[in-house]
Amino acid sequence: MYVQERSVHSCAENIIEMADTDEEDFAISSYSSADTAFDSVVGCIEDIILDDEFQQLQQSFMDKHYQEFDDSDENKLSYTPIFREYVDQLEKYLEQQLMERIPGFNMDNFIELLMQRKEEVTGDIFDMLLTFTDFMAFKEMFVDYRATKEGRGVDLGEGLLVKSLIPGDSKNNSCTK
Amino acid sequence: MGLLTILKKMKQKEREMRLLMLGLDNAGKTTILKKFNGEDVSTISPTLGFNIKTLEHRGFKLNIWDVGGQKSLRSYWRNYFESTDGLVWVVDSADRLRLEDCRQELSALLLEERLAGATLLVFANKQDLPGALSKEAIREALALDEIKSHHWCIIGCSAVTGENLLSGVDWLLDDIAARIFTTD
Repeated sequence: MYVQERSVHSCAENIIEMADTDEEDFAISSYSSADTAFDSVVGCIEDIILDDEFQQLQQSFMDKHYQEFDDSDENKLSYTPIFREYVDQLEKYLEQQLMERIPGFNMDNFIELLMQRKEEVTGDIFDMLLTFTDFMAFKEMFVDYRATKEGRGVDLGEGLLVKSLIPGDSKNNSCTK
Repeated sequence: MGLLTILKKMKQKEREMRLLMLGLDNAGKTTILKKFNGEDVSTISPTLGFNIKTLEHRGFKLNIWDVGGQKSLRSYWRNYFESTDGLVWVVDSADRLRLEDCRQELSALLLEERLAGATLLVFANKQDLPGALSKEAIREALALDEIKSHHWCIIGCSAVTGENLLSGVDWLLDDIAARIFTTD
């Protein structure tokens, strides 16, 4: 911890030295220290999303609503409020977790940084965050979840079918004799 | 507005547009959507919910939302206003009896704050039917010339034959693109 603090401190000193020599360099250097702060929040978001607790949150939300979803092309009007609730819940969870994990975290400030960095907002983590806001991805997730939930019965039926083939097999055997 | 919502808005601006297609029931909204998408339009039943299609056109990604138009469903339209770049208002040009209803619904929509920035395309649909009114007659019946709050255009079309559907969308694209992508 102490070492880290020192390195940050010396980094700041460097910035000041550069500022004396060249204004442009100062701009770049201060930008990169803001970058570090930005990157650490992004890293934290990644941790939160990969955490079991987050998966459980999604799972329990799906358990609550999956029976409403059908695999038909047309969407029910009732999907829309469920979708809104989902995005809302994820947003609140993310913010609450970030505040717990990063002392003094402020979502408005982070969003401001994000807007300044439009061009850099790329990569897996942002793609993943964006799928949370994609209605079609949301619907597909529910339809898949329902199929898996209800698919278990089908698997049992197939098991019975396999058994019923055994006499057929023995018939085949007797034929080749 | 939370993080996810803002992220989505940021990304949407990258050559992506959201079009909302509304109109009275039986106007032909879903037929238009399916025709665009190259799907069969011979058996289309009344929409009770909503349909979404994402199409690529002229390098733009178009997210088209089509919401059912029956009277009991119209109060749900407002759930789909957010982030709309273009409003497509579809009119059954042969349904003379309900033109006044059609005018009222449209003028109510144009007062909506969340649609304030949207470009309006009116499709005078079903031009292939013998009893269809011309786009000029529809323009007058809907009092389009009184609209000062939105960019608008009316185009006569047929969802069944596909006539003029593309020219309508091209106009809409041009107008939205001029607004969004040059002011950045």
